Amino acid sequence: MSEVERTIMNLPRRDAPDKLRGRTRYTNDRMDATTLHTALLRSTVPAGRIVRLNVSRALKCPGVRAVATAADAPGLFGIGVADHPLFASDTIRYIGEPIAAVAAETQEQARAAVAAIELEVEPFAPVLTMEEALAAGARLVHENWRNYEDLFEGGSRRGNVAWEAKAVRGDVDAAFAQPDVRIVESTFRVGRQNHVPFEPRVAICTWEDDRAHIQTSTQVPWTVRNVTGKVMGLPPGRVRVTVPPVGGGFGLKFDATIEPITAVLARKTGRTVMIENSRTEEMTTCLCRENADIRIRSAVTADGEIVGREATVLMDCGAYGGEQIFLTTMTAHTLGGNYRLGAVRLTSRAIYTNTPPNGAFRACNGVYNTFALERHTDEICAELGFDPIEFRRRNVLGDGDLGATGQVFEGEVLRPMLERMEALREKVGSARERAAGRLYGRATTVGTWFIFVGPSSATVNLNADGSATLVTSGVEIGSGTMTQSLPQIVAGQLGLDPRDVIVKQADTDAAGLDVGVGGGRTTVSIGAASIEACVPIRENLLKTASEMLQTPPERLALRNGRVEIAAIPGSGATVAAVVQRAQSIGGPVTGTGSFTAKNVPAMAGCAMGHFIEAIDIPVFAVHDAEVAVDPETGHVEVLSYNVVQDVGRALNPRAIHGQVQGGVVQGLGYALHEEVTLGPQGEIRQSGFETYRLPLALDAVPVAIDLYEGAPSMGPLGTKGAGEVPILNTAATIACAVANATGRRIQQIPLTPPRVLCILRGREPELSHPHISADWLQNTLD
Amino acid sequence: MTTTFQLNGESCRFDGDPMTPLIDLLRRDRFMTGTKAVCREGFCGACIVHVESEPVPACLRPVGLLEGLSVTTIEGASQFDAEAQRLQAAFERVDAVQCGMCFPGMVMSLSEFLRENSRADRDAVKHAMVGNICRCTGYERIVDAVMECLAEGEHAGGADV
Ligand code: FES
Ligand code: FES
Repeated sequence: MSEVERTIMNLPRRDAPDKLRGRTRYTNDRMDATTLHTALLRSTVPAGRIVRLNVSRALKCPGVRAVATAADAPGLFGIGVADHPLFASDTIRYIGEPIAAVAAETQEQARAAVAAIELEVEPFAPVLTMEEALAAGARLVHENWRNYEDLFEGGSRRGNVAWEAKAVRGDVDAAFAQPDVRIVESTFRVGRQNHVPFEPRVAICTWEDDRAHIQTSTQVPWTVRNVTGKVMGLPPGRVRVTVPPVGGGFGLKFDATIEPITAVLARKTGRTVMIENSRTEEMTTCLCRENADIRIRSAVTADGEIVGREATVLMDCGAYGGEQIFLTTMTAHTLGGNYRLGAVRLTSRAIYTNTPPNGAFRACNGVYNTFALERHTDEICAELGFDPIEFRRRNVLGDGDLGATGQVFEGEVLRPMLERMEALREKVGSARERAAGRLYGRATTVGTWFIFVGPSSATVNLNADGSATLVTSGVEIGSGTMTQSLPQIVAGQLGLDPRDVIVKQADTDAAGLDVGVGGGRTTVSIGAASIEACVPIRENLLKTASEMLQTPPERLALRNGRVEIAAIPGSGATVAAVVQRAQSIGGPVTGTGSFTAKNVPAMAGCAMGHFIEAIDIPVFAVHDAEVAVDPETGHVEVLSYNVVQDVGRALNPRAIHGQVQGGVVQGLGYALHEEVTLGPQGEIRQSGFETYRLPLALDAVPVAIDLYEGAPSMGPLGTKGAGEVPILNTAATIACAVANATGRRIQQIPLTPPRVLCILRGREPELSHPHISADWLQNTLD
Repeated sequence: MTTTFQLNGESCRFDGDPMTPLIDLLRRDRFMTGTKAVCREGFCGACIVHVESEPVPACLRPVGLLEGLSVTTIEGASQFDAEAQRLQAAFERVDAVQCGMCFPGMVMSLSEFLRENSRADRDAVKHAMVGNICRCTGYERIVDAVMECLAEGEHAGGADV
């Protein structure tokens, strides 16, 4: 058996038994009787100036041990631009913004003390929508935007445009002026989506040896370390971050806004301090998937060639730039993905508003750009009379085709995946008869995503009992990577049983740099680093065993927990015996490895303001759904759902199927009923589970899945991450199917029953997007 | 005022405010953190415990109303409740667990369901899960595991006759 074959298995999760018995201690299970509890004073106005802040009465309240304000953490942090303070100091920019934090013996005492803080605010008229923010003479959400430190070179930003990324390839004007083309234009709008991980954002800090030790429910321990250091004015090495099992993330836990507060309070009190967001705080200050407005135009010839395309995507970042600044990069690869394009220009802008900041959410940016792109593609097909599947088969990216930034795609992937979808549809059959009198629609869509690579490190220590310890900054957020694919990979390299691979919880004091768990990167990046860490260990084991067994290393094999003479199964010595021998000769048996992006080239001058110019590991998905639309109520029922997903290589197919099922259902929520709306003051109206409609068991359908293997990937053993992608084209597929069922244009999601009824009755207002000029150049800064 | 009730088979005395939700007594006073507080509004089911063998959200039940009653949490059920153990084994077998936060509540409500509905079909199981939300798994595997348990019960001869 090869290493690869040995690695593939449906290894069960080692954390399941404890999780099922309530024994797992997530961060929010780690308070004890000595823990101080925290409450935050949050802004109740969306915009204003703090005229007076006096905490002296709060400090005298019973049980109070410390109060923290901006004076304790003056530094600014952010992604691309340092625009975000830990506490509002002078300017308030959204409802819910933290202004002060109180640590007290009990939660009730902390809350009572917050009520005793004296705060006087001079309110301003808020800028609530992107349309307002871009209007001539709009008030600046960040008056001093010019003074902010740039953390990444090459971006454009000005006023309420927090960041702008552009991709330009070829002569788009010429393409649109061609006499033989039809021009199709579409506009779209999507709302926000709340992650709702079941464990809220929560952190516990102790001040130990004059350093902060933060235990937190995060996806990015190194970001927490760096941000905490930055805002407190400490070298980041004075912060240690460890991560217990995380009760769901989906991208929400990619930032650090509560952890530094616990560190400030722990330093002030010398005590253990915990912040746990209440569900209301979590719902109303969650870094939602951003709302976005999109205008897209294409020039298509009569035989269906897309010779030109241009688009503008406005992403609402809320009060602070955060992840959206980075995510402007993605438009080139999501909206600019899927299809072969002649000339293309795309601009993607993160816009400041006085609303709660947004963040990253599973296949961030991709889900709505794919919705827009696939709806637009179907509108092209309708206008020019093409069969939608045939049009896709003909135009999808293939071997040697160029992406929007001029990167060259390798291999035929989407086309054979469309064929596999055809086969899957046939195999599963149609559920049409279940539509029973309702409007029936079906659609197949394609999607392009990527694996977010970047730095990871791994250390493997081999132990005298024949087990191995894997030390990384990886975090188990529920996807199973830390309990399934990583131990499988290490075991495969060393010929061990994966149950003999101990996986250490993330600890920034013990493991090297890592950009965090997200973007489907863990298996790829940490997996590659782990394989590299195993190289010297294998060499050491083979060399030592070669002496013990008087056999040249080339004739030895690592398998079944033994170093065997390759030709004679069961021969040789146990790994334990070889490790013991190796330790006695040369000391501990250990290896380290690191990994980072390979930086596939883009075309010079195509990408401006991009954090990544080309995608190292593209990932493709083909989805297909059947829906029934009730013409009386507007209710959409999903009758069937099929997925063909490019996974490179499936190391644990059963676990991947679980991710696909979960991701699709999350996507159905986004497409159909998870609706975040903003009130007149820019506040998030859905403050709990009663008003925010999550998918229930009855909303779910069993997803038929075909994993597509063998597409080119630089990932270890040919892998690509599989957990992020399943949500990518769910909204696109449902929207296209509903459009087919109703015969109407779908420009907005979620497709809640009231919206669908409006659409059916022709009462859904046309989206004109006056704030996105039809002249593309007007939508860019320079 | 003092409230006394049975907690996982042992006597439990509570001297605090009788309006204290049971979830706070469990998690904050006793550090029994198997019962999860997710919505605290009765919608998600992560906090379900058995009160006199009835599944009840612990976030909505004031301790004062438990006088003389018997309460079982996931910690107790994992030790003593055969139905809960069967479900736990099935969830492990089908690799249903992801972040895991919803599962203590799933086990508590579905174990009661299994006891009461040994002949349920898939649709009935899904209906029974309206009070248990899972953000990660997309549910179908959880239903698969329950269906396996129901089939096992069938093979064992339908003990409910
Ligand atoms: S926490 Fe009790 S039902 Fe959600
Ligand atoms: S497994 Fe995460 S909420 Fe169910």
